[in-house]
Amino acid sequence: MKRLRVWPVAVACLAVAPMTMIGRAAQENRTSPDISGFWELNFDSRQVPRASLLPSVTRAKIDARAKGDAYAVRWCNLLGVPFVMDPGRPLDIRQGATAVIIAPENSSAPRYLYTNRGTHISDDIFDPSTNGDSIAHWEGDTLVVDTAGFHGEHGITAIPGGGYRTEKSRLVERYRLVKDGTLLSVTFTWTDPTVFRTPHSYEYRYHRLPATYEPRQWLPCDPYDEERAKFLDPPRIATPARRPIAKE
Amino acid sequence: MRYRILVLAAFLLTVAAAPFPRAQTPAPAAASSRLEGDWVRIDPDGAGSFDGLGASIPPAQLLPGVTASGGRGGRGRGGRGGAPGAQPTGPNAAGVPYIVVAQPCGGGGGGRSNGALLVNPDSGGVHFVEQKDEVIFAGERGGVRHFYLDGRAHPSPWTPTPAGHSVGRYEGNTLVVETTGFTPGGVTGGGVRTAETVLVERFEVAPDGRRLTITYTWNDPKIYQKPHVYRYYFERAPTVSSGGSPVSYALEEWCDAGDPVEKQSIVPPKQIIK
Repeated sequence: MKRLRVWPVAVACLAVAPMTMIGRAAQENRTSPDISGFWELNFDSRQVPRASLLPSVTRAKIDARAKGDAYAVRWCNLLGVPFVMDPGRPLDIRQGATAVIIAPENSSAPRYLYTNRGTHISDDIFDPSTNGDSIAHWEGDTLVVDTAGFHGEHGITAIPGGGYRTEKSRLVERYRLVKDGTLLSVTFTWTDPTVFRTPHSYEYRYHRLPATYEPRQWLPCDPYDEERAKFLDPPRIATPARRPIAKE
Repeated sequence: MRYRILVLAAFLLTVAAAPFPRAQTPAPAAASSRLEGDWVRIDPDGAGSFDGLGASIPPAQLLPGVTASGGRGGRGRGGRGGAPGAQPTGPNAAGVPYIVVAQPCGGGGGGRSNGALLVNPDSGGVHFVEQKDEVIFAGERGGVRHFYLDGRAHPSPWTPTPAGHSVGRYEGNTLVVETTGFTPGGVTGGGVRTAETVLVERFEVAPDGRRLTITYTWNDPKIYQKPHVYRYYFERAPTVSSGGSPVSYALEEWCDAGDPVEKQSIVPPKQIIK
């Protein structure tokens, strides 16, 4: 009698276990969306609320940052995140087996969103950069990207809605196709204990361009073009100097 | 007995509920994913210098009347503008820096090469991401090349660019890329190119996945007596440990044209003669 009571439990478990495993395997092995393509922002593509900044983010600090950003433009430096996600021209996004690459049509470095590892390169190895170190994974139909390792001074540090990137900044992005894949929604959420009172989120919606689109050649950026230098920054043409920003 | 079966049941339920290893991105399959990742150029013959590497490349056989443009390729700081001038005949005086570039960081043009540096990569790391419609070939020194695999033709008309226009296909595990529409200029090994010149590159990864050979074939019946062929060799980029696994990643080369130090290499210290 005892056997009759316990065997159904075992048999039920044996039956349920593979079904559960198959169900999960099917779910996880489901082909992720392909966000590859050429994507462009339109004039109505940005939903950017004002950031809630800490009192320590003074006008003087914001002005100093703006000066540093102007320096990066003046000298054709790498511009980095977040600027590279809104560079004024389309982005070429390609989803490979180990990474997703985001290539802008300007001289900024492409971004690599690594899908083949779940941890960041350790701080003692990774040199902070304008794009930081990005790792990504799929949560259902959404590609979730976590970026750390930003350089606190290089490139354009201004963050849409207010605030600026520092070496303590962390960015989480969520990429999701909407409207039958004709739009790519990217939600950006910045956290930084030295800049933001609360996490700062905003959304861009990129329009998919025809697959036959041909990326254009970059427009030149020549830091030694005197006419350009006069236009951008008259006082500093003749005396190049290091970026005028102090660390936070 | 009941205890053993309950243990068995608990075990089976645990197995069923245990998380699977998180699936890596099941990216849309490219025809070949062997190329994807990070690579660095190597010096398999031990030439020891970029000039030595250049010297190992067979000279281009030009048609009579065609003038070589001196394109040797492979210069250490190519693409950053300010081509090296005459080599000094002796050491600089103490305190006088060795000036390696007059206008660092790509002065005088498109800035960071616009992909042209990747036609013949130098010592900087290079990176491939393979997707079924396009392979992106990128460099840590800036710029990308787009290799279209979607069947498109070279555009006509096309305004020539330093990196040209590239279409590709897979032949087995080899990525074959055809590029044309270059701006006129020099080619590694003393060759010449025009907007009509066609470059065919074959990207072949060794069976063990560790080495990449790029075979370059420049074709132009108005320039070359025979196709100008040479090879570059690469190895997988060095790895670091991340989460216990060896991984490589793309570095970001910083170059600030406004920083006077960028113009300098070594500043010789004061010499002490005993």
